[in-house]
Amino acid sequence: MPAFVEFKDVKKIYKTGETEIHALNGADFEINKGEFCVIVGASGAGKTTILNILGGMDTLTSGNVILDDKDISKMSKKQLTAYRRYDIGFVFQFYNLVQNLTALENVELASQICREPLNAADVLKQVGLEERMKNFPAQLSGGEQQRVAIARALAKNPKLLLCDEPTGALDYNTGKAVLKLLQDTCRKTGMTVVVITHNSAISAMADRVITVKNGKVSDMRLNDNIVDVADIEW
Amino acid sequence: MTVMARSMRKTTLREIRHTLGRYMAILAIIALGVGFFAGVRDTTPAMVNMMDKFFTEKNFYDYRIISTSGWDEESVEEFAAQPQVLMAEGSFSFDASYYVSSRSIDETVLKTHMLPQKINDIEVLEGTLPEKPDECAVEQGKGYKIGEKIRLNDSNDPETLDMLNEREFTVTALVISPYYINREKGTTSIGNGTLDGFIYLPESAFDSEFYSEVFVCFDSDYLMYSEEYNSFIENKKDEWEKIAEEIALKHHNKIIAEAEAELSDAKTEFENSIAEGQAELDKSAKELADGKKKLESTKKQLDAAKADIDMLEAYIGSTSPDFKEAKANYENGLAEYEEALAEFEKGEAEYNKGLAEFEEKSAEGKKDIAEAEKKIADMDNPSVYLFDRNTNIGYALFENDSEIVEQVAKVFPIFFILVAALVCMTTMSRMVEEQRTQIGVLKAIGYSEASIMGKFMFYSCSAALIGCIAGFAAGTKLFPSIIWETYKLMYIPIDMPYYFDKELAIIAVIVSILCSAGTTWISCRVELKETAASLMRPKAPKAGKRVLPEYIPFLWNRLKFLHKVSIRNIFRYKGRLFMMVIGIGGCMALLLTGFGIKDSIAGFADTQYNEIQTADSAVFFLDEKYDKIHDLLNEETEDFVMMYHGSWDLLYDNRVKSIDLEAIEDYSNISEFMVFRDNEGNPLSPPQADEALISNSIADRYNVEIGDEITLRDSEMRELQFKVSGVFENHAYNLVYTNLESCKNQLGTDILSNKAFINFREEENHGKQAADINKVSGVISVEQFAKTRDRMAEMMSSLDYIVLLVIACAAALAFIVIYNLTNINITERQREIATIKVLGFFRRETSAYVLRENIALTVMGILAGIALGIPLHSFVMSQIKVDIVDFSTVIFPQSFIYSAVLTLIFNFIVNLFMEIKLERINMAESLKSVD
Repeated sequence: MPAFVEFKDVKKIYKTGETEIHALNGADFEINKGEFCVIVGASGAGKTTILNILGGMDTLTSGNVILDDKDISKMSKKQLTAYRRYDIGFVFQFYNLVQNLTALENVELASQICREPLNAADVLKQVGLEERMKNFPAQLSGGEQQRVAIARALAKNPKLLLCDEPTGALDYNTGKAVLKLLQDTCRKTGMTVVVITHNSAISAMADRVITVKNGKVSDMRLNDNIVDVADIEW
Repeated sequence: MTVMARSMRKTTLREIRHTLGRYMAILAIIALGVGFFAGVRDTTPAMVNMMDKFFTEKNFYDYRIISTSGWDEESVEEFAAQPQVLMAEGSFSFDASYYVSSRSIDETVLKTHMLPQKINDIEVLEGTLPEKPDECAVEQGKGYKIGEKIRLNDSNDPETLDMLNEREFTVTALVISPYYINREKGTTSIGNGTLDGFIYLPESAFDSEFYSEVFVCFDSDYLMYSEEYNSFIENKKDEWEKIAEEIALKHHNKIIAEAEAELSDAKTEFENSIAEGQAELDKSAKELADGKKKLESTKKQLDAAKADIDMLEAYIGSTSPDFKEAKANYENGLAEYEEALAEFEKGEAEYNKGLAEFEEKSAEGKKDIAEAEKKIADMDNPSVYLFDRNTNIGYALFENDSEIVEQVAKVFPIFFILVAALVCMTTMSRMVEEQRTQIGVLKAIGYSEASIMGKFMFYSCSAALIGCIAGFAAGTKLFPSIIWETYKLMYIPIDMPYYFDKELAIIAVIVSILCSAGTTWISCRVELKETAASLMRPKAPKAGKRVLPEYIPFLWNRLKFLHKVSIRNIFRYKGRLFMMVIGIGGCMALLLTGFGIKDSIAGFADTQYNEIQTADSAVFFLDEKYDKIHDLLNEETEDFVMMYHGSWDLLYDNRVKSIDLEAIEDYSNISEFMVFRDNEGNPLSPPQADEALISNSIADRYNVEIGDEITLRDSEMRELQFKVSGVFENHAYNLVYTNLESCKNQLGTDILSNKAFINFREEENHGKQAADINKVSGVISVEQFAKTRDRMAEMMSSLDYIVLLVIACAAALAFIVIYNLTNINITERQREIATIKVLGFFRRETSAYVLRENIALTVMGILAGIALGIPLHSFVMSQIKVDIVDFSTVIFPQSFIYSAVLTLIFNFIVNLFMEIKLERINMAESLKSVD
């Protein structure tokens, strides 16, 4: 079975005037369908660039990126938008909820542009926010807001759930709860989840761990000893 | 400067570089506001100063003095010797009819002037001043060419023809004259009643020993139209009337003395010649008597000789030679005698003829002398007229025209400045909000509130100052020249020099600093009060809230999801809603007002003279000539209606307002001359006894309503009281109409009409007829309504350009406001927009998501603008007062459409720009933390 996600010698060079910055310098990795994958690396290692490219938010300079047999490296702007729309669910570090919409409406904002969305209320129930659906973001705690964000990503019924430092803005316990939710989602729905973080402790709970260093994948391993979130400490 | 301050300055300059768009927005809006404000304010003084400079250069007169007995060189010298007189100059002018055969102009009535020496000096634009008596200078721009020949019409009065030595004049110069700055030259009593232009001839062309007028220039440098100038002239009036009378009298007495001397010379001569004639006659009478005596004695001798001959015949027979000789002698003598007799009789007849001639001549001479004596005795003291500049039509019109700009200038700039302040305010608020963290950091490092505020102050004030200078320079340079350019169509083509008004510049700087610094201070004040720590924490995003429409489920549930989002967004950011609605509404109101002014002034002259005052002409005459005029009008016109016309004061609130009272003799045919209708167009019935109709201007300005009693008073303190029976639409003058009967009854005296509305016969030339009627003695003046209409329409057409300028500026303002507010809107929501882009909204969906709100706000702004524009328009119209003209305050439906469509177009263009900006928003923004 071919890999679900494949990065083949991906290079990304930013040009600012005379200087060239090699954000990615030939990154190679693959992720299988249904895996819970953690990409770790120090800041500046290139993980955000991977996220941007994988999320269809940025183009690459050379190489190939394949998701579910589709080569996104060849896509036009419009195709990329469609790719983001139908194939990717995004969870941001700072939730990025629309303040003016209730929890339910925030989820609907995403679900109403998709082909086969999940029921917004159901998804919210699933993330444990049944009671808070009518609340506005400002009335929710950080963890709750991140759950709304996850629900928003899930409701789109994407092929890939991309999470950018999902615990970055949360306190320790809440962060753990959110990670648990992501892991459970992966396990229960078979969704492929990619979590990008600088916190290597989190890699203990992943099926697959990809380590990024200086724009290259320095290590990729399958985790034989998967630890439950509750048992991870950092 | 300390290191800290230097780095502060650096960050400020960098800030400007990085946010150039925002910086430019402040700069542009201030430039526009100040430019409009300063430009419009500068125009009237710039125009007046330009003309004043021209007048000073050309020594425009202060007084024009006319005496019925004319002036001579000595009078002029006496005028010049008066205190405060800079110079005085005698001149000669009269109206005459000319023709230009080279361009087949059969008749053109020109004011014929003597070439000025100093006062009212003319400027040669082409050619050289005329020198010979058959050369002339004429107005430029009228199609005359150098070398063209202008001839006096033979139809001129003989006196007019006598005044000039030549009949034909060759154009040697095309000139402009300060005496005729407007295309309008005034009226005349010859030709078709309109003065077409002027012609300047050298002094040698005139055959007159006297001047017809004297121009006087005072040694003063007051600005024309200024209070100082007007009171300066007003104060001189009484004194100068006396001076002029004295000088005129002196001249008059001199003329009489000269005439008397001449007469006595003539008398002596006459008497001498009579005596001579008598002597001659006497001599010939004596000669005749001698001759007669001689003849008689000859006759006696002849008779004696005849007797002798008869006797001889009896004695010696008729055949004797002696007898024959004697008979021949006798017959010779007889023949001689008869010859002499015939001669005598001829002489006698001649004598009788000479005698008759002599008697006739002496009688004639006596009569002549008696007549001359009577003429001298009858010579009244001369009448003297003192005319100031206001009687010069160009001078008076220019004052009006230049004032219109000032009146428009009153309200508009304030509005522009307000909108500019609003834009500054929103921009600076946004900037302060964006820099919250930085303010916190600076505070934490230890910068004082003042120095942090200083950064923002520098940012906004430097933008405002640059904008102010640019706007001021551009506005004061462009506005006056553009407006003058349009006025030039009606005035002489002189160049407008740049006019710098120091006071205005100071006001502009103060206003723009207030505008920028004030709004910056307001924006910074709140943030700066917070502690450094709280500033560095991200500001809690504004909480979402349910909005009013959600509580109407019937409506709310029908809306599409994204529409709901838009509606909630619109109502969530109340501040933005306000700014946007006020900003766009303001611009819309400005546009609407601009178009509305155009609508209101456009048709007023047509309405007044085509629909309301439909008579061809109004004739003013002396009431003592009533019968004569009545007969004249009966003969000369199609129909007419007589009325009493007088200036009366309307008493209200213990104050008085001068109005024109017209008491019509007979209303039965009035609709041929004047249509009385109310503002809705319903016809009004004529006033009954002691009733009056009043014009809407009176009703509006003095709060008079139908059914009210009004009291009128004249200069003799006579009072009239009427019940108002109707308010009629009227746009020129403040008029009260009643019937003559009521006036007579109330005043208890007989009143005669002194004015008539007339309609000419269709087939005849109205101008010519008006001129003919004007010539009749007793007629004071004839006003042709068609001419009045054209003149007013022309005046208004120049206002059109000003309005266009207002519209253009309002449009520019609208554009900047919409751009700026939308720009801020998008900058504020960058994160949200980045997020929805990441969510996979297509380009069009993203634009719609943001710009839908924009369009909704624009539509709300348009509605607000309509609500604001209508009263603003009324206000502006109430400020624009052109003498006694009352504009109808209307905005045509299409003007609403134009304004709205223009606003929407700006919105659309801005939205196009914004789409590009939206496209550029980097999705990576969504990954950043809130700061």
